[in-house]
Amino acid sequence: MSSTIFIVWRESIEAMLVVGILYSWLKNQSLTDAECNASSVGMRFLWGGVATGIALAASLAFVMLKVQSELAAEALDYFQIIILLVASALITQMVLWMRSHGRHLKHDLESGLQASHEQSNWWGMFALTAIAVGREGAETVIFLYGTGLSQQNEMMSFILSASGGFVLAFCTFWILSKGTRYFSWQLFFRMSEILLLLLAAALLVSGVDHMIGLGWIPPLVDPLWDSSFLLDDSSRVGGVIAAFTGYRAQPALMLLMIYLAYWVSVSFLLRRSSRSHSSRSHSAKASV
Amino acid sequence: MNKFKLYFLLSALFFSNVVFAGLPAYKLTIKDGHFSPEIIRVAKGTRFKLVITNLGPGPEEFESKKLRKESVIAEGVTRSVVFAPLKPGKYNFFGEFHLDTAQGHIIVE
Repeated sequence: MSSTIFIVWRESIEAMLVVGILYSWLKNQSLTDAECNASSVGMRFLWGGVATGIALAASLAFVMLKVQSELAAEALDYFQIIILLVASALITQMVLWMRSHGRHLKHDLESGLQASHEQSNWWGMFALTAIAVGREGAETVIFLYGTGLSQQNEMMSFILSASGGFVLAFCTFWILSKGTRYFSWQLFFRMSEILLLLLAAALLVSGVDHMIGLGWIPPLVDPLWDSSFLLDDSSRVGGVIAAFTGYRAQPALMLLMIYLAYWVSVSFLLRRSSRSHSSRSHSAKASV
Repeated sequence: MNKFKLYFLLSALFFSNVVFAGLPAYKLTIKDGHFSPEIIRVAKGTRFKLVITNLGPGPEEFESKKLRKESVIAEGVTRSVVFAPLKPGKYNFFGEFHLDTAQGHIIVE
């Protein structure tokens, strides 16, 4: 039964991570009236995204349960690749946006032009939470529904271990939301950024890998190396590390190139966005 | 570069279902947390498909990092998974929901 706990934790942790970080970031905005306002708007988008994500998970699970025809199965595969790439892009964009804001939302709320730009970022947050919850949620629904049906005589122990997995994942969310109490805001923010960017890179790796698997992009050299004797990505621990960092024991050259290109462009964009942030706060100070 | 262009063109052509339907197909069933057969032999360098049936009980996730596949299959569902041509070698796959028992290999030769 420990595997039930593990699978439920594993399937819900990604969504908890994304929602947990966004939630604590929004919660720490409420210093002035304007920020308080922006933060409560943000919360509405965040929880709206979670609710949409749950609906998405249920309908995706329904489709997966019913899919029998080859055409539909193929469409589902393509859809999952698109979702992986979109989720990766949205997380990256969200980190850049959070970085450019730093702790305070008010800078951008001052002019009307930026307010409409702001609106699109809230929708980005909405889409991100909906996808994060919906993507892995669908598998959780199928797992719980299917396993539950097949274990009617051991229903009680199944329900207990499934809830155990949710509690564990929720603990992760709770630790994240309390994180700023124990760590400095700076440290908390830096760690969140790293976790989110690693997750985005892992989703990108997954999407690219599936595209190589379908023959859409050439692997170039495959595999480039084999490090499964150090860390096997098919083992339980290796699988979790793969899901959160993009680690592969036998990567193709194409995959490694895309992975490196991702980190190079992200570090370039991060440097640019924090530079524009510091120049903006300088000019804000100057105007005061 | 021309080789890649050809590669792209060919793979684009392969995406029509007409071509998929004619692919060599291999059957794989999942029952009580075990795959059957556990070893599938496939010819090298040809596109093929696995027709996976989950007889249950419960759902299973057919997964392979090496084969770059991941697909949740509910009980009683049959799904086919298409593979790009593979180089000779041994490729492991597993069922994520029964990691201890659901293990198998595709041997390409």
